[in-house]
Amino acid sequence: MNNDSFFSNDWMETQRKYWENWMAMSQKAMGVAGGSPTAPWEAAMDHWWKALSPAAPDASKQFMERMMDQGKAFFKMAETFLPGANGGVDGWSAFTKTLEDMQKGFRGSVDDGGNSLHRLMAFWELPYDNWQRMVSSMSPMPGDFLRNMPHGDMQGNVDRLLSAPGLGYHREEQAQYQALMRCSIDYQKALQDYLSFNSKLGLKAVERMRSYMQDLIQSGKTIDSARAIYDNWVGCCEAVYAEEVSTPHYAELHGKLVNTQMALKHRMGIMVDENLGALNMPTRTEIRTLQDRLQETRRENKRMRRDLHALQQQVQTLLGGEAPKGMAGGPRTALIEGPDSKKSTAAKPAAAKPATK
Amino acid sequence: MIPIDIRPDKLAEEMLDYTRKLGQGMENLLNADKIDTGVSPKHPVYKEDKLVLYRYDTPEGITPKPVPLLIVYALVNRPYMADIQEDRSTIKGLLATGQDVYLIDWGYPDGADRSLTLDDYINGYIDNCVDYIRESHGLDAINILGICQGGAFSLMYTSMHQEKVKNLVTMVTPVDFEAPGNLLASWTRAMDIDLAVDTMGNVPGELLNWTFLSLKPFSLTGQKYVNMVDVLDDPDKVKNFLRMEKWIFDSPDQAGETFRQFAKDFFQKNGFINGGVILGDREVNLKDLTCPVLNIYALQDHLVPPDASRALKTLTSSGDYSELAFPGGHIGIYVSGKAQKEVTPAIGKWLNEHSAA
Repeated sequence: MNNDSFFSNDWMETQRKYWENWMAMSQKAMGVAGGSPTAPWEAAMDHWWKALSPAAPDASKQFMERMMDQGKAFFKMAETFLPGANGGVDGWSAFTKTLEDMQKGFRGSVDDGGNSLHRLMAFWELPYDNWQRMVSSMSPMPGDFLRNMPHGDMQGNVDRLLSAPGLGYHREEQAQYQALMRCSIDYQKALQDYLSFNSKLGLKAVERMRSYMQDLIQSGKTIDSARAIYDNWVGCCEAVYAEEVSTPHYAELHGKLVNTQMALKHRMGIMVDENLGALNMPTRTEIRTLQDRLQETRRENKRMRRDLHALQQQVQTLLGGEAPKGMAGGPRTALIEGPDSKKSTAAKPAAAKPATK
Repeated sequence: MIPIDIRPDKLAEEMLDYTRKLGQGMENLLNADKIDTGVSPKHPVYKEDKLVLYRYDTPEGITPKPVPLLIVYALVNRPYMADIQEDRSTIKGLLATGQDVYLIDWGYPDGADRSLTLDDYINGYIDNCVDYIRESHGLDAINILGICQGGAFSLMYTSMHQEKVKNLVTMVTPVDFEAPGNLLASWTRAMDIDLAVDTMGNVPGELLNWTFLSLKPFSLTGQKYVNMVDVLDDPDKVKNFLRMEKWIFDSPDQAGETFRQFAKDFFQKNGFINGGVILGDREVNLKDLTCPVLNIYALQDHLVPPDASRALKTLTSSGDYSELAFPGGHIGIYVSGKAQKEVTPAIGKWLNEHSAA
């Protein structure tokens, strides 16, 4: 890979497009006619990153992507507060308009085509994003596979379907699938409640931001950078989040989210076990039984070795000899090297007396 | 008065600066070597199953004190946090005060370790390591330093084997799980722990990561990557950041049965306060703990609030109890420059004063 071409050509091209875009934006802010401000700088950055990223080590790649994403987020945020950028004629009206649109967004009544507002609100998807990444990592299904499943409208019909009794030879199997469906619905409901809670917190964070700005006005201070807006927004979100997630209500939501996910996985596990059994293959239940028995046998074995060692010491003492300095009772599976072989040039502590047990 | 004063040209400049740093940082990320962790020389002295007991080499010119120190780390995350980099190492600091340091590395439990119980860890693994060290040094009792959950383990161990522990140091150790601000306990209370463990067997590290990131989702999964851009041009700082990032996401799975008992007995039933924690055939009673105790907590700890640690003061029978409050967070107490100057020397001094024959 020739880095020079990226840093001296592609990168400069990125910067050129970026400036052009901002020129257009400045003109609009000053009332000069122009097109709507899009973000070619963002596209150019993406292009640059796509070309460069295959050469990056995995750890660095993820790291860089996160910085790119967050960078885009906070510049997008600053854009929305610019005079003229969001329908406002000055900084304050742009700010007020943006906050109002954000509130509408959190209520689900505005759609800006996945642009600036979406990014601001997507910040409140971080808790959910973490959850779905975690769920994906331990499930064959993607973490968000139930997110958009309609719930309320179809609830009645699904309940009727799931309450229908099984018949004949396959009644057990039918009952299992019904149970699986119920678990899916419960999880999806818990997930929607969790997302809805986060949306409400988003609204509160907007209010907190508005209040913060009022305080700024009273103190006569101003915010003059994208970074400062971003940091304050993070501060407002984090403060609101900290207050709300310490409530019993959130603990209940959190508990339901985890419990329903576990119930769904548990049900899937049962069905996988059934199928493995039908194929005469070892099931998870059987393996766990073996694990438990093996661990119990190892415990007994360790206890017996400890008792045997104690008996040996007693016999040795009764015979008038010195108690052996053998194993102190612990079942050592591998002693790599004794303490005397410690690789140090420093003085060693003298062995004062034998270990007692 | 308009609180936001961002001009398009100024925002463009800020954006350029951000992208310039990203571009420069890319170079450093591409050149980043493999992330190394655990910097102080050490060698394994004892192995049992996946556990490895390490002994650290005493630095040149230092005479080790006669009573060795065993560090018991948490099962959550990896113990190299205590020795994460050359200039930020609790272990290095302890060695400098003359401590003869041993550390338990629990390894990465897999499905075969699912049946390991809290009793296996405390009265099995820890006891065997303590016996090994006692025997090696010819001592009746040694010093123990417990970190976070490892501190809770150390409290249980010491109360059940007081004769083998000369002095106990606990760092950011949860004792009262119902102390205000303990979000983890609050969230865990509504969880069906039995269902989770029965479903998953071992508890995946990803689930723990999600839980920890959920404590401050906006700062921990968003803002910190923006902040990082400011130091991307410094290869050393990039490496340090990646090292910490590796540690944060390096979460071993938790042995299922151990997690079950720890979560239920402590997070849900507050076992140190209310009693009822049974290991093997004995109940844990902190009143059986009589040795000198140094309890260290962090004043800005978002995982283990200070009150959760300070509760220890009245629960033991120790006639020599001291506290050290550190003005920092749960991680900063190991890795911050201030901790290297204040915390580690204080531990070494306290141990040296209390370990005289």
